[in-house]
Amino acid sequence: MFVAPILLWLIMVLCLVISVVKYLMGLILRISFPSAKISKDYTWQPTVSVLLPCYNEGETVYYSIESIGKCNYPSDRFEVIAQDDCSVDDSYEWMLKAQRDFTNISIRVGRNDFNCGKARTVCNALQHSSAEIIISIDSDCIFHPDAIRELTACFAEPGIGSVGGRVGVSNPNDNVITAIQTIVYFAAFELYKIPENLTRSVCCISGCLFAIRRELLLEIEPTLRARHWFGIPVNQGEDRFLTHQTLMRGYGTYINNDALCWTAVPTKLSVLFNQQLRWRSSILRDLFYTLRSLPAHVFKLHPNTIFTMVLTPLGAIVALLMVIAMLSTNPLAWAGPEPLVVYLGIAAALSWAIKKFSVRETIQHPLAFGAYIAWSVASSLFITPLALLTFDSGDWGTRAKAPEEAPIDRVNA
Amino acid sequence: MTASMLDAAHGPKKTRKPLQLIFYKVTLALYRLFAIVTLYAVLVGILAYAFVMGFYAVSTSWAAPVILSAYDEKSLDFMQKLVISRQSIEDLKVDVIRQQTTLQEMDKYRASLLALDNELQTAIASEQNHDRLTGPQLAQLDEQKQADNRKTQEVLAQVHRIEAQIESDLAAGLITKGDAATQLAALNRANTDYTDSRIADVMLSDSVLDKTTVGTKSLEVLEKQAELRSDIAQLDVTLSVAQKQLREDNRQIDRLHDAIAIAKQSPYYLNASGGKRLYFAFVPYDNQANAVVGAPIYDCYLNMAFCRKVGTVKQVFLGEQVVNHPIFKNQVRGLTILMDLSHPESAKSQTVFLGRKPLLF
Repeated sequence: MFVAPILLWLIMVLCLVISVVKYLMGLILRISFPSAKISKDYTWQPTVSVLLPCYNEGETVYYSIESIGKCNYPSDRFEVIAQDDCSVDDSYEWMLKAQRDFTNISIRVGRNDFNCGKARTVCNALQHSSAEIIISIDSDCIFHPDAIRELTACFAEPGIGSVGGRVGVSNPNDNVITAIQTIVYFAAFELYKIPENLTRSVCCISGCLFAIRRELLLEIEPTLRARHWFGIPVNQGEDRFLTHQTLMRGYGTYINNDALCWTAVPTKLSVLFNQQLRWRSSILRDLFYTLRSLPAHVFKLHPNTIFTMVLTPLGAIVALLMVIAMLSTNPLAWAGPEPLVVYLGIAAALSWAIKKFSVRETIQHPLAFGAYIAWSVASSLFITPLALLTFDSGDWGTRAKAPEEAPIDRVNA
Repeated sequence: MTASMLDAAHGPKKTRKPLQLIFYKVTLALYRLFAIVTLYAVLVGILAYAFVMGFYAVSTSWAAPVILSAYDEKSLDFMQKLVISRQSIEDLKVDVIRQQTTLQEMDKYRASLLALDNELQTAIASEQNHDRLTGPQLAQLDEQKQADNRKTQEVLAQVHRIEAQIESDLAAGLITKGDAATQLAALNRANTDYTDSRIADVMLSDSVLDKTTVGTKSLEVLEKQAELRSDIAQLDVTLSVAQKQLREDNRQIDRLHDAIAIAKQSPYYLNASGGKRLYFAFVPYDNQANAVVGAPIYDCYLNMAFCRKVGTVKQVFLGEQVVNHPIFKNQVRGLTILMDLSHPESAKSQTVFLGRKPLLF
């Protein structure tokens, strides 16, 4: 009778402690632990294929390719493979235009025969690549000229299988929603993932900028293509899946915060909701996968990694229960001044850090972070159950439009 | 989702077994059914929750039934205080009686002291009057006595010469030894008488002094008188304090009686002292207008709909209560009412409504 609440509290406390510890450790490691940073070798310049899966990005994809073209990596050592997943807008035309305009780099443009999701679009693009390092990017991101150079330099460390970049917010001051996301992104990359960097076991490298060894991706590709949920292809969360698979194959993962790219985060609540739903869904899928093969994880992975893989999603589930319990026992608890003060304190500290260390993301109204209370309640209450109950959904999330149904023999083309 | 799409998940080289396909389809169908039902339930739950929140935010007729038992902490605490108050009254009454007895004794003692003081005063006055009368007479006699003594002293000076004459007469053989002894004894008696007369004179002087001046004896008497009056004064102070204490104790008894009388109007007293089951309800101040004696009480399903009359308001207790809001759980100030319920099970409802049905049905 008392076990369930005790277990819930235990998980909640563990999640809280581990989160706080990770953020604090991140801060300490950043300041005083140089070995948390990987030793880079800029002289090693492998061939690179930048895979750019695209769906309904429109003109943005053009500027994304343009920013890649401005990379200071030797142009004869990298290529761009842009693959359209049957966008219903003019994305494909913009890709072709980029191919025509940016002749200084090699750009291949392809198109799926039918809409099959991001993961399989990446796999399809991979078919055209023969480079040593594969970099998968999001088609709505703008890349720093050093991005490719920074990513490849990290592969000098032999055990590294995948390297990610730091995703910055290009529109921090559009509104309250973007301001909140800017703070969350900054805290995640600059603090939360640093302890994971120390053990070379980052649990999720963002799909915005994801570099992986070719042979490793080829090894994972069949599994990636075969992902399904009771027969329904899983197209979401390929970044988390690839990171997880990298770790399970004994490779290290790392996020190089010097490899920068910029993304425009959602400005509308509905878009943000859909994005978070997609992410939460992939987190929960990953939890079930982890739990299903927990013994293998225990033997192969660093405890820090297992804790993160298990407790982070469990924390989301427990948070849901806590919010329900709170609303049924004391509905006004979240409306008190204490959470607001805490969040505003966090916002003040992080805003100062952002202004100091990432000027481009400087937030004009950091107090907007107070609204994160309402978002965290709504997020815990709606997103987790919705994610748990929509595992059979597999669209492109924020860019989704009614996909065409495809015959089986074309999916894996 | 078509079979071809299901197959897509396993890549080109895998062929799916029919049994597995059926398993997937059944699982998916159940999952989707569960998901749809759950999501709609969540949606309905959220809407209902929001409606309930909004309803109770604007409702001005709800009251929260409170079932008090004799073992209820507040009732027990209340009864404990009541017992302590009554015990205090009894203690105070005993004190009052004791103080009254003491006061009576002190009054008597004070009266006796006053009487003694009067007697002493009379005695002193009488003695002083007597001294004033006899003192001068005695002084005059003393002077006369002193004059007599001076004359006696002159006579005794002649006696010494006679004593020498006797000695020479005896030596000359003019008188016998017996005659000489007799004459000398007579002379000696005269000396002794003179000495006695001097002593008497001195004593007389003392007596004159006592009667004509304030002597130590008089002072001792006056000291006794002062002590006596001091005792009376102290007794007066003690009496005054005791009387004040007595008055204060009596007032305290009255206050406690009043407090108990008010407390007897409390729902906790009624609950704890009566043998009959009583039904109370908390009414927030915002809803006080509906809490009038005789107002109908409605109990509703789902805390707001399909209401039925279950009784009336019997009594309104004006003492403030602070309880948690039945829905919002924040602290709310209000008062308590006594309900006369025809349907006692309504006392177990989360809320009831006073005066009217909240949603017209």
